[in-house]
Amino acid sequence: MSQTAAGIAAGVLAREIGAGARLIRWLEESDPRGRDALALIYPHTGRAHLIGITGPPGAGKSTLTNALISEQRKRGRRVGVIAIDPSSPFSGGAVLGDRVRMQTHALDTDVFIRSMGTRGQLGGLSRATFDAILVQDAMGYDVVIVETVGVGQDELDIVSLAHSTVIVSVPGLGDEVQAIKAGLLEAGDLFVVNKADREGADALTRQLELMLHLREQTRPHAWKPPLMHTTALTGQGVAALTDALDEHLATLKASGAFTQCLIARNRHMFDSLLRDLAAQHILAAASAQPATAALIHAMQAGQIDPYSAATQLVACMSLQFP
Amino acid sequence: MTAFANRRLRVLLAKLGMDTHTIGVTVIAHALRDAGFEVIFTGLKQTAEMVANTAVQEDVDVVGVSSLSAAHMKHLPKLAEFLRQKGAGDKLLIAGGVVPLEDIPQLERAGVQKIFTMGTETKTIVDYLQTWWAAKLAAEQSGG
Repeated sequence: MSQTAAGIAAGVLAREIGAGARLIRWLEESDPRGRDALALIYPHTGRAHLIGITGPPGAGKSTLTNALISEQRKRGRRVGVIAIDPSSPFSGGAVLGDRVRMQTHALDTDVFIRSMGTRGQLGGLSRATFDAILVQDAMGYDVVIVETVGVGQDELDIVSLAHSTVIVSVPGLGDEVQAIKAGLLEAGDLFVVNKADREGADALTRQLELMLHLREQTRPHAWKPPLMHTTALTGQGVAALTDALDEHLATLKASGAFTQCLIARNRHMFDSLLRDLAAQHILAAASAQPATAALIHAMQAGQIDPYSAATQLVACMSLQFP
Repeated sequence: MTAFANRRLRVLLAKLGMDTHTIGVTVIAHALRDAGFEVIFTGLKQTAEMVANTAVQEDVDVVGVSSLSAAHMKHLPKLAEFLRQKGAGDKLLIAGGVVPLEDIPQLERAGVQKIFTMGTETKTIVDYLQTWWAAKLAAEQSGG
């Protein structure tokens, strides 16, 4: 396999999974070749239906994703999956086990599953994920599914900037609706009660119906989010969920929201990159500035508070801030 | 050093065939995570081809097989062959578990680069991978 940006980009466009996997790795690790290859494949993106799946741990997101892959494959579509699991904040390492539930598709060459750790990157998780989505999009996957545990702002950004956001809940977690973070309820396009054959599914359904009704009262949407029932392990309800996803996609395309979604995602990435680049420049300028050491010293000696120290340093660097 | 800042070793841990003993692989997964590696687990009852496909999709550096069912002579050479076939022959293939010493030379000839036999401390495996990873990064750096 070629290890140049042009070679990998050509491989991605020729739909070689090895090339796609390598490019995702480069992008995740900020390898400069990643950026160059991304520029080459970018014109071929913007076609895939991006589905975000989130919900509390144990809700059955991976099993549901697995069932959705099967149903999408039955409908003749090629499927990419990005499965995100948390990294250890202590070691930075991770055990990524989402794909254990999806190995039935390991021999299907039209399914590409990639696991990602959150790696504790400041604002970088959503960027690395969106990069990976672009790669799978350029590889011609009709559907790209991003699966994540809905904890943390970055993950919320990822699923809420998808075309179709699926919120999965499950009976028996105690205060069921508590498990749906604020923000996710607003972001959800489709709501799923998974493990619907279990005790407590009816109570959960009633609570969700109430919350969706309240949401509709405060913020009426053109799209009324359906509440679906699945048993992902048996595949029960998954065809109906896929029908609803298809219907949502058609609605997005008809209203122009499909493109709007891409624009919002690009804007998010642009802002996030700009923040990083600006921070890099300012931190580099600060460390080259003689006043920095003196200010840090004064702060450690308790002579100046961090707010004043930072403000004074910025003044020294004669940067214009409001 | 900055060139390495975002690099993180990715390891695929796999169980092949009807071997369903998971305690060993779970202990190893946690030890590798605590060493700062990213571990991807395939789950049970995998075929050699499934594991090779997964290694390509995840672009891992290392494929580690836990073998406790005495089927290593059947599965491991097949996995090495599939990895080569799928253009993933550059990945480090290692194994651990119940492997008699007399089988090791043949497995090594087939492409299994390191075998950890019964009673190996997790630290030994972590140290081995850390040394291998440092050498790989250094080679990349000097090779450009």
